[in-house]
Amino acid sequence: MAVIEVEKLCKRYGDFDALKDVSLAIEKGEFFGLLGPNGAGKTTLVRILTGQLALTAGRARTMGISPDEPVALKMKVGIVPEAESPPTFLTAIEFLQLVCRIRRLDGMDDRVARWMDFFQLDEKKDVLCRDLSKGQRQKVMLAAAFISEPELLILDEPFINLDPIFQKRLREYLQGVVKEGRTVFMCSHILEMVEKLCTRLAVINQGRIVAQGTLDEIRSRQGERLEDVFMRLVEAG
Amino acid sequence: MVGQNAGDGKPDEPAPEGRGRYLGGWTYNLPADEGPSPLALPWELFKAMFREEWRLHKSFVGSVGSGFFPVVIFFFSLVLAATSPVILRNIDQPTILLGLHIAAILYGLGVGALARIGEQVMTRRLGQVNMLLQLPSLQPISFKTVMGVFFFKDAAYYILYSIIPLVGGIAAAMPMTRITPQGAATLFVTMLLTFMMGMALSFLLSALSIRSRAASGAGALVILILAAAAWPLRLISPGRLLLPLGFWEDHQPWQLFASLVVVLVLSAGAIMLMKERFAPPEKRYASRLVPLEATFAFSGDMRTLVAKEWIELRRSGALGAVFTGFLGPLLGIFAIIWIFSRGMGVPLDFNVVFYGGILGFLGLMTYSWLTNLEPNEFLNVQPVGVDRVIRAKLVLYFLLTTPVSFAYIALIGMLNGELSLVPLGALVGFSTMVYVAAVAGRMTGLRANTMLFDANVLGRFSAAIIPPLIAVTLISFWIEKSPLACWISLGLLSAGLLVASRSLFAGLGKRWGHEPFGI
Repeated sequence: MAVIEVEKLCKRYGDFDALKDVSLAIEKGEFFGLLGPNGAGKTTLVRILTGQLALTAGRARTMGISPDEPVALKMKVGIVPEAESPPTFLTAIEFLQLVCRIRRLDGMDDRVARWMDFFQLDEKKDVLCRDLSKGQRQKVMLAAAFISEPELLILDEPFINLDPIFQKRLREYLQGVVKEGRTVFMCSHILEMVEKLCTRLAVINQGRIVAQGTLDEIRSRQGERLEDVFMRLVEAG
Repeated sequence: MVGQNAGDGKPDEPAPEGRGRYLGGWTYNLPADEGPSPLALPWELFKAMFREEWRLHKSFVGSVGSGFFPVVIFFFSLVLAATSPVILRNIDQPTILLGLHIAAILYGLGVGALARIGEQVMTRRLGQVNMLLQLPSLQPISFKTVMGVFFFKDAAYYILYSIIPLVGGIAAAMPMTRITPQGAATLFVTMLLTFMMGMALSFLLSALSIRSRAASGAGALVILILAAAAWPLRLISPGRLLLPLGFWEDHQPWQLFASLVVVLVLSAGAIMLMKERFAPPEKRYASRLVPLEATFAFSGDMRTLVAKEWIELRRSGALGAVFTGFLGPLLGIFAIIWIFSRGMGVPLDFNVVFYGGILGFLGLMTYSWLTNLEPNEFLNVQPVGVDRVIRAKLVLYFLLTTPVSFAYIALIGMLNGELSLVPLGALVGFSTMVYVAAVAGRMTGLRANTMLFDANVLGRFSAAIIPPLIAVTLISFWIEKSPLACWISLGLLSAGLLVASRSLFAGLGKRWGHEPFGI
């Protein structure tokens, strides 16, 4: 069953084509990586898939739901945006409680306690989010995405600002998510992480998907490193 | 030479090694022998900040909306000035000048709290907004220099954006009034200086508050005492406090020169008080979301969002401003009318129903404050639409304004000896408040503060709001002559406003449900 289906998707800003004929199908239980240089269209695609942005042409479905139904779509997906932006005047606990209420989750206290503990945010539990460090704010955003244990996680640069300890912890958690049969869609510039985690990936350049498949499928020769694959595909575009 | 190589008029070329400087997209080359001019960098920074300010405004409402704002101010001022021989015929010129200069200094005070803005930018408290004010964090330039330039940039921007169009409108009305070219020019100079005095004073107080809140409070108290000495105590003439206003009485050029000196001294004092480094603050709070849900349980499935909005209102420190922004003008309007009718003998028969109509218009400021606390971008990735947050803010809006409004209407009713009109005043006040909030919510969503700078939105908003408010005002004047007809027509008008509001509220989801959160 495809949890993300995209057919001939286009997104245009005036005369500029941010996305051109993008087609993707991501199956349940995959760990899918989307790679691309800066400005290639990764975040635009993520924003469309999560109902934050309207598409210009083509078709997209996330968990079977159109981006034109953003509330219903977001209810089924855990999303981490490109930039951390937790609420200015709420504490981390209050924000996670708010997310539980919005998503109508039961067992709120246990869920909040689990994720505060997971990201070691307890010591900062009564600090306003605006006064947290960048890494701590990123942890709050990750916790808000994970707290509902959704079937699909869409993560835009989830490892950014995290220290190596939490990068490892997050990596192990995401691997566990996929083992449970859930799906992860991740954009990242950390090629080493993508190579370790992703079962399948796509490379986007100038708004077009220039390659997709398993790492072996997009390699031009045996043993080619992902960095070399990436450079070859992007420079060819 | 900025932007071009000196003398030849050609586009930028790379500066000679070690001689060029680069800032904000412009290269300028320093003369080989003279060394850097001490004013070169501030001037470059001034231009960069000016562009930043323009682009910031443009990002809110687009270039057309942003560019039309001064045009709207110009025509508003023109119409008011052209009709002043009729509508202000019982008010003498000194009183009109006093009103204009009080407005100018209050405007300056309002936009001048720059030191706090600077602190918030430097400590990353303005969310996603990054500004040139942050340059000292990483670049070899002092924060005091940057703040000094920021002050003059803001002054220039607001003078161009509002003071010049305002006085320009008055000047354009010359053929229809007795305003002379010399009078218009003098008015421009005195209003400009008054505005800048307000800005400089506000800048100084905000800079003082960064060093010591007590000292800042004491400074504000001194200003209030001086203002009270002018009015109502009448111990000192307003022209002695506001030197540009005094110029209209005494015609002494030193008053203008002294005003300029006051502006420079106050702003220099503010700049000297600025810190170069700010310790990152860390405020701690007990979790309040769940307990407050119970408090707001009456709002049903909105209770969590209403609780969130309440927390943000309290912790942002905006609650006082919201109350002051609503109650202050209400009391101010009553005071002005009282002054005119009792103090100056100008008969202004505004009854309690008229004040009811005023409530709705001032409610807009409260709604604008409520939408200005937090961009809510974090909700872009949660299953909640902008329309839900608008509704939560409207619940808070009604909670905050309704008790104040009813108390105000009752108070006016008692003071005017019109207790029998209080129920009608309350009905009119409630329905106009609901209607204005519904129109504001529908047309501006969570961007009331910025979208009303868009001439297009402002025009549509005015078209929706002004006719019913004028109708309320006109009908209220007839209430003593035809009470039954007025009760019926105001009742029908109020019912119509409530029905229209219901329709506007129902359409919030369609209008805002797919819009993203953010400034």
